[in-house]
Amino acid sequence: MTAVEQTPWVYPVIMATHLCCIALFGGMILMTDLRLLGLALRDQTIAEVVNGLRPFKRIGFVIMVTCGLLMAGSEAPTYYPNPYFWTKMTLLLLVGVHALVFKPIVYDHPEALDKCPAIPTRAKAAAMLSLILWVSIPIFGRLIGYYEPGEGKAPQTVTHR
Amino acid sequence: MAPLAFLQSNPIADLLNNTEWGFAVAECFHIVFFGAAIGTIMIVDLRLLGLAFPRKTSAKLLQDTWAYTLIALAVTVLAGMALFLSDPRMYYFSPWFRFKAIALLLAILYNYTIHSKVASSTPSPRVGVVAGVISVLLWISVVTGGLFTGLLA
Repeated sequence: MTAVEQTPWVYPVIMATHLCCIALFGGMILMTDLRLLGLALRDQTIAEVVNGLRPFKRIGFVIMVTCGLLMAGSEAPTYYPNPYFWTKMTLLLLVGVHALVFKPIVYDHPEALDKCPAIPTRAKAAAMLSLILWVSIPIFGRLIGYYEPGEGKAPQTVTHR
Repeated sequence: MAPLAFLQSNPIADLLNNTEWGFAVAECFHIVFFGAAIGTIMIVDLRLLGLAFPRKTSAKLLQDTWAYTLIALAVTVLAGMALFLSDPRMYYFSPWFRFKAIALLLAILYNYTIHSKVASSTPSPRVGVVAGVISVLLWISVVTGGLFTGLLA
């Protein structure tokens, strides 16, 4: 944490890695969800998409979370009172809940979904919730930078890019 | 510079700079759709790199993803142009913005020429890897340039 705080280029590099992971792996989550909804990659089986992208999403998630923890830890006093930070943390917690609920009935058995005549409702529900969560997380992540302590609302944005 | 002075006062700048959430909303669109665009391109890149979808051709994956990539890139660029218009002078003179703009131009050109041509053919593993690596590096450069444009503005 000290290195992140005291070396000028470390924080931007960690943030760049965090953003690259969001860009590279966030899209894979999107495509998985769209496949579960039957809206994209329809020529691939659900199993191919879910199993094919799983390792990359896991690697991306671990790198993203590690970078996020390093950033939050290095500026804990700044992040602590920030409501957008806590909203993002709550959404990440909900991602965990989503995984606990849907992993056993959707993501662990994609082959079973392919055998159904139509995509089951549980799979579509998992995809919709995942989309909502993963679109909201980068949005609240960005909004963290807009918070000014004491004001309780976003400032004039022109001064806070 | 006359064009910059002209651009400096525009209705989009008014909307983004003088409303509480205008700039933030444009940024959120920019970031979310950029993730979608790069993510769909990465699906093709993973195949070119031989890391995923071994039973599918890159041509098939490109065919399945191109529409999403195009829509996401269009929204990203439009949101990006709105952000640029919020303060054209600052962006124009920012070296990181210039880096990002050049990287973006190269990445889009590459994506719709060489990358698309290689992915649509049946490339040898070596050609596929080279095409995939260049694509990933170009898009990472765009993200990095964008981040530093914001951080150092």
